[in-house]
Amino acid sequence: MGLRSNGLSLEIAGRPVSGRPVTGRPQRPAGPYLLGIPALLLTSLLLVPIVITVVAAFRLPDGSFGFSNFAVMGDPAALHAVRNSVAWVAVAIALVVVGFLLAVVSYRLPGLSSFLQPALVIPFAVSVLVSGATFRLIFDSAPERGTVTAVWSSLFGTSPVWLGPGLFWLVLVSAFGWTWLGYVVSLFRAGLDAIPDDVSRTIAAEGLTGLRRWRALELPLLRPITGVITLTLVVAAVRVFDLVLIVVPGPMQHDADVLGLNWWRATTTGDDSGRTAALGVVLFAIVAAVAVIGVRGLRRRRWAMPVSVVPADSTLRRPKPSKRVRRIGWTAGFAVSLFWILPAVVLVATALHSPREAGLRGWWSLDGLGLSSFDAAASIGLLRSLLSTVLISSVATVVLLVVAVPTAYLVAWGGLPTSLGRVVTSVFVVLAVTPVQMYAAPLRDAIDAAGLTGSRIALGLVHAAAGLPFAVLLLRSAFASAPPMLVAEALQGPARQSAVLATVQRTYRPAVIAVAVLEFVLVWNDFIVGFLISGAGTTPLSLVLWGEARQFSASSGTVAAAAVVASVVPAVLMLTFWRTVVRGLTIGSRP
Amino acid sequence: MIRRRVVLAGAAAAALSGCSPDVLGLSRSVRVAVSWSGPELRAFHRVLDGLGKLDYPVEVIPLGDDISTAFGERSARRPDLVMLPQPGLVPPRRGDLEAMPSDLADRGRARLWDELLTHDGTTYGLPFKTAHKSAVWYRPSVFREAQVQPPTQWDEWLELNKALSLRGIRPLALGAGDGWVLTDFLENVLLGTAPSAYRALAVSDDPRPSRVPEFAAALRRLATMWAMPGALAGGVERSLTQQFPDAVVEVFGHRRAAMVTASDFAEPVIRSFAADPDDVGLFTFPAFGPGAAAPVVVGGDVMVLQRPATDDAWDLLHRLATPAAPAPWIASGGFLVDGRTTGYSPELTRLADQLAAPGTSLQFDLSDRLGELGGIDGLWRVLTDLLVRVGTRGPDVVPEAVESALDELGTVEG
Repeated sequence: MGLRSNGLSLEIAGRPVSGRPVTGRPQRPAGPYLLGIPALLLTSLLLVPIVITVVAAFRLPDGSFGFSNFAVMGDPAALHAVRNSVAWVAVAIALVVVGFLLAVVSYRLPGLSSFLQPALVIPFAVSVLVSGATFRLIFDSAPERGTVTAVWSSLFGTSPVWLGPGLFWLVLVSAFGWTWLGYVVSLFRAGLDAIPDDVSRTIAAEGLTGLRRWRALELPLLRPITGVITLTLVVAAVRVFDLVLIVVPGPMQHDADVLGLNWWRATTTGDDSGRTAALGVVLFAIVAAVAVIGVRGLRRRRWAMPVSVVPADSTLRRPKPSKRVRRIGWTAGFAVSLFWILPAVVLVATALHSPREAGLRGWWSLDGLGLSSFDAAASIGLLRSLLSTVLISSVATVVLLVVAVPTAYLVAWGGLPTSLGRVVTSVFVVLAVTPVQMYAAPLRDAIDAAGLTGSRIALGLVHAAAGLPFAVLLLRSAFASAPPMLVAEALQGPARQSAVLATVQRTYRPAVIAVAVLEFVLVWNDFIVGFLISGAGTTPLSLVLWGEARQFSASSGTVAAAAVVASVVPAVLMLTFWRTVVRGLTIGSRP
Repeated sequence: MIRRRVVLAGAAAAALSGCSPDVLGLSRSVRVAVSWSGPELRAFHRVLDGLGKLDYPVEVIPLGDDISTAFGERSARRPDLVMLPQPGLVPPRRGDLEAMPSDLADRGRARLWDELLTHDGTTYGLPFKTAHKSAVWYRPSVFREAQVQPPTQWDEWLELNKALSLRGIRPLALGAGDGWVLTDFLENVLLGTAPSAYRALAVSDDPRPSRVPEFAAALRRLATMWAMPGALAGGVERSLTQQFPDAVVEVFGHRRAAMVTASDFAEPVIRSFAADPDDVGLFTFPAFGPGAAAPVVVGGDVMVLQRPATDDAWDLLHRLATPAAPAPWIASGGFLVDGRTTGYSPELTRLADQLAAPGTSLQFDLSDRLGELGGIDGLWRVLTDLLVRVGTRGPDVVPEAVESALDELGTVEG
């Protein structure tokens, strides 16, 4: 075939095509895969014990396999514990809903959040044991000591026994809600703030208001954030264990039994290991079911729209609300903050009383002020356990960062085949919600066998492994939200991997800081992982607190002092980094 | 001053143990599991401090009512030394415990203890702390006001409760938040009314209290006292949320009740919370009829070593077994040593004398000997439910409630 024009002749020679057409494959270098090896090793600390537990759950005493271990669920006590655990998951989901509504209110009433923020952050920073102890102080049944009892009985003459049968649930749920609500509200609020104003305007121009607007705009755009929040809360709800131990008086602990506690009592009283493994599997199934529904958004590779580099024209921003609305927001925010910070005030004020006065009278009493409760707390080894806790938390955080950052990069931009990427993400989602009961027993045996019993370093490693799935998911979505131009340029350049990693450092610092701060604080506040895996001796700070709280009211001064000392570091860390933490938690979920 | 001391102690601790192997958890510390908390735990720390310089770190693990978890699966993570408040757990665990060497074994063979701690001539534990579990503490000023005397007979006690109630004074504060407070109460009634039935249950290989008529009778007596309207300060629900120190505070701190049944080890709690330190009185459980001996229920913590024990653990056991070791605890009150009758406060001396006196109806704590049956899921729970069913509701509900309690107990017995 020829073409002739302006004296130039072109000739095109054709060639017959043979064979079927072959689609092109992108080049997949093997290098990035190496980034996943540390994570594979660390995750095997969880994966192998989980497999062992699952096998044990189905292995019968005679060596064959079957379902009869699950007959343990026919045990009324275990069944009761399952019901309570499911109820806790429901509480967690209800808290997500309440938190969302509060976030919407605070979004509509600017001014609210400036006061509310620190008041909501502090409860999230302190451990479950501390918030449990605080609420037990507040709801103490003696009107001389318990705040609520004192107020109620002065208003109505007598007061119900708040820690008594049935009503202790109120105390438990209050403590849980106090801990988590701030987290939920802050994250939803960040998500709402990130909705681009032009999208809101378009929706408004189309005449969508009220519920229809929510369905069309806010709910779908916030789905990824809802996923993160639901995931964290469901895990926390299923982990409820130490809260029951510290809040519920002995005779009611049966009513308050949860699967985690039931499992613990079963393993320690020498129940058949197959049956306890079956309990662990049931616990896991509950969480996994809820989590899979709750975090469908997490499986999507990209949540993100490109981050705008140029700030939007300020004249196009959300119109400033009227002065009146701002004033209402300001007042409401102030009042809610005062109310929300009250438990922390109760705790600190109790700690500032002598052990005698704290045992006799409430935090508002003016007698016996001083630091002698701190002195008493110091005499039971509080300082030594502080040092151990610093060590464990630091080891866990450093190991986690070193392993999680490259892994998250690999999953987000490392060029994994789509199907493999999906599998890896799903595995991490499942691991993130796996309750510690699923891997505690085999891991404990392995640590014993390795002669590392009581080693804080080993415990730090286990914590890093337990924190890895959530960290990777979080960092992955942060990476995935990178401006595609940046990534594309980096991938085409000659030194592409290092260039991409350099953009990580620049663009994703908030997510990295969020992971570091959250891990440090979670490990610092941990009770259950250390207690179940390394035994009582290696969960230093929380254990001192727990031991002291065994005779609760008589020791309330010492308990409060130990709780205050234990809470200073996480509270300061959280308050300092909260904005970054929220940005880090939500960066990947920008709509 | 205190702030400075705390800071200095912190600095010293940091300097000493900043990077030491025991903070890393690498050096093998001797792990001591205890059930104590609060003032008792602090007193035990003082005992350890008083042992002098040790070549190994000691880690105290407070396990509270879950102390039996100290005997988990055999692994190096288990505590080395267990201060066991339930010596009844020793016989079933003998295979996991070290035998005591001959120079120490004699203490484990003292009366009451030998049945529990000795088997075929070998001793598996040493008593560390003895508890007198038949003590009742009261406020003498209230008794004077109501013109009553401490009871010497059970019926007098019931009359006393009625007399106090009539004057608007709640007779009893019950720390039902601690299950053992309830079992101790029952044991005193059973031992006072039917010592031989008590003994038979205590030594039985397969105890079935629900089938023992004397046991049912004791439950009825106990339920009748709890059922008296106005008998319990704060009613049943408050009682359930109260641990024994809270009950002590109700009586001596807030003065809302006249009496509290609490063992000798309540003494430091009473001393620290009493509004009037001079208004503290003590009587022991009365007899259950003319000529009958007053019951004395004995408890205590025994030291056992899990096998295989390290040299360090043996060393700690030897040091704790010396008579001088508990001196700091004795000085702070609420600590009795088996066989010793001097060196205590006047109240505790009375209790120690009663423990040493010949001819008293002395028996070791029954619930501590029944193993699991006497524990959280067994007798504790049965008695808690009984209290809920009868508490301050009058005598009419007693027979039915006792029937339910016996049924419940039968289920636990299997």
